[in-house]
Amino acid sequence: MAVNNKTNVPFASLFKPAYVVCHTKKTDRDSILLELLTQLAYQAGIGNVEQAFKEVQARENEVPTIVGPGIAMPHARLMDITKIVVGIATIKDGFVYAPERSNNTVKLVILTLAPKTSPGLYLQAMSSIAKICQDTTTADKVAELNTPEKVWAFFDSNGAALPEFLRACDIMEPVTVKLQEHDTMERAIDLFVRHRASEVPVIDKDGELIGVVSTHELLRVCLPDYVLWMDDLTPVINFEPFAQVLRKESQTWLAEIMTSEYATVDENSPAVQVAKEITRQKTDIAYVMRGKVLVGVVSLAGFLSKILRE
Amino acid sequence: MTEQEIKKEKIKNTIYVFIMLSVSGMVGLLAHFLKFDKQQAMSCAIFIMIIMATLLFWTFRLAIAFVGIGVLMGTNVLTLPTFIRECKIDVILFLVGMMVTVGVLKELGLFTWIIQSVITIRHITGVTFVFIIAVLGAFMACAVDEVTSIVFIATLVFQVCDTLKIRPTPFIIIGVLGTNIGSSGTMLGNPVGILIGQKANPPLSFVDFITWSFPIMLVTLTASILILLYMYRKDVRLMTERLTARRQLGLGLGPLVKVPYKSGLAVLLGMISFIAMHHYIELKLGLAPNTVLIVAPLVIAGLLMLWRHERARHYIEADVEWWTLLFFMMLFAVAGTLEETHVSNRIAGYFLQAFGDKPSVLLPVIIGVSAIGSAFVDNIVFVAAFMPIVNNLEHTPLLWALLHGACLGGNITMIGSTANIVALGMLEKRYRTHMYFFEWLKVGAVVGVITCLISWGGIALLSPYMPTPQQRQEARLVMEKSEGYNSHLAISDTNIVDAN
Repeated sequence: MAVNNKTNVPFASLFKPAYVVCHTKKTDRDSILLELLTQLAYQAGIGNVEQAFKEVQARENEVPTIVGPGIAMPHARLMDITKIVVGIATIKDGFVYAPERSNNTVKLVILTLAPKTSPGLYLQAMSSIAKICQDTTTADKVAELNTPEKVWAFFDSNGAALPEFLRACDIMEPVTVKLQEHDTMERAIDLFVRHRASEVPVIDKDGELIGVVSTHELLRVCLPDYVLWMDDLTPVINFEPFAQVLRKESQTWLAEIMTSEYATVDENSPAVQVAKEITRQKTDIAYVMRGKVLVGVVSLAGFLSKILRE
Repeated sequence: MTEQEIKKEKIKNTIYVFIMLSVSGMVGLLAHFLKFDKQQAMSCAIFIMIIMATLLFWTFRLAIAFVGIGVLMGTNVLTLPTFIRECKIDVILFLVGMMVTVGVLKELGLFTWIIQSVITIRHITGVTFVFIIAVLGAFMACAVDEVTSIVFIATLVFQVCDTLKIRPTPFIIIGVLGTNIGSSGTMLGNPVGILIGQKANPPLSFVDFITWSFPIMLVTLTASILILLYMYRKDVRLMTERLTARRQLGLGLGPLVKVPYKSGLAVLLGMISFIAMHHYIELKLGLAPNTVLIVAPLVIAGLLMLWRHERARHYIEADVEWWTLLFFMMLFAVAGTLEETHVSNRIAGYFLQAFGDKPSVLLPVIIGVSAIGSAFVDNIVFVAAFMPIVNNLEHTPLLWALLHGACLGGNITMIGSTANIVALGMLEKRYRTHMYFFEWLKVGAVVGVITCLISWGGIALLSPYMPTPQQRQEARLVMEKSEGYNSHLAISDTNIVDAN
């Protein structure tokens, strides 16, 4: 993979002290977002505030973007702007960001507005402050700062910078469904059915990916080529081959439906590599690796959603 | 494809076109220096161009053959009546009939039943499996054709190897080698069989193949299996271990369904019987030689299409490989031009000058030349060009030498026969793996050389008992008389064959 090096853009360069609302008196999410957007409209010229608010609100209603302890990072992609704009609001005592979820008192709101035609820019911004967000004290520290300049200086001194490109690990999801190498076909079928998964990774005791079992392979085992040759479906009309597989499912090792052909990408590869591998392997899922260890997955639907819509 | 790759591909194609035209031009010039006339030189050059096209531009071979025919016609080397006569519509129709019948047999579940019969064999071991795929491949090729056989064998190999999680490549090679060897057993096995049978003067019958070629095929097949078992002993041992382990767990090699195979089996046996009796039926009905042989698959295909009329169009459109058949037609016509312009006679003359007319010398030469040629070029190209020469030499054993050389030579390289290419395509598609030229060659060359030597020995051994072309003709006349056959018709038929 060849990637040209460019100078990284500091996160602090995406906003100015004038874009920061310190110790806002508002105590609900929508009011704070509206206040921030109005400020940005005056200071950065983001266009129609009402439209931008609707966009941000719609996304937050769908999935509240609480990215770290006490930190929310709402975002939207707008037609009216040509470069990424960040606005920050601090709430000294915090407020409940998403009432339907527990443990979500937020003290720091980082609103990111990205041009609609810049896929992944928001994710790059998010990635740049990922370390800051993971620090449990960040929200408290920033909420204590009493001037916009100090807030800006906090991010500036931190040295956070947008990565040169979006990496696979920036868009991956955690692995929630997986199989161990000693599992049987019975467990794989259970997972396929329970999670509506089309494929499930198989890992060994060290977490290394050793293969992938897929519903297509399962179907191939149940209906091999030689059965499909027949025009007459009478011999299989009552799923006879499936019944035979079910009878032996608890004794059949995963190897039977495991394939070694799947898409993998290194966690530090550019995110676009995920799309390349998914296309090349004609699959819907790419597995993100740290060496041989499986650290995440990117589904095609998730990829498109993140790149084209987030 | 990146821009750089496209550029590379363009440069490669330009070089290939240059090579193709240069070689073709050089052959034309050589023919001119050998005092060939303009038409002879032109037909040689176009024929070589088509051979080069099959080597260098496999996917464009038909397009190049079309252009070649155009050039031959445009220069008046090939006339329209000669083209129509030489494109061997009889052989093409025979193959169409066979392809339709095979398509129906597949849908009727016959091949499913055979595969299931193999995977349910009790106490099957790696050695047994090797015997089965080689022998089954050979016999299927004898009964239907080599391409159908290898598609069937490859499916069986993939099923077993996928289930056992072992490398399928050795078993695919074994299946292909067995299929190619088997294709020399009958005239149904390989398009070269039917071409030799039809173009031989007088024509050969199905029974001739069973009498003189089939026994030699059995010996070469047995020898090949033993060689392959030794060469792939590690893979065979691994398969035995995995099969034993699976058996101990009470697991099979694939799901089994109740296949209504009887109608398919009846069709296959009926067709083979019909074809096997063609000579007798032709005499009884007073028909020209091999009429029933050619018509039998067509009639059976027609009956099957009437029976399964809702699928009839599918059989014709999907099961008949028109691309291949059209290429054959063009190729036969170009090869026919060599005969028409008397190039074949002159080459036969050079052959006689170089090697004399002793069959004992010509036999290994024909086997060797056709085997080496078939290893690199489609064997039908070689046979089409060589048939008139072998006919001119007037020794029956040389016909069998040509058949065996062409079929067995196809085993030497991975591009040697259609079965090899089909099997490797399936392997590549399924496992996204490539076979390397030398990986095949180190096995194919050993098997190819040994089987050619055995074949040479076998034909030499049987030669004294083989009837000469004259004896074959006389025997036919005697049988015709005893059957009350119309002698006028017989004479006119023989004349047609001679003219061809």
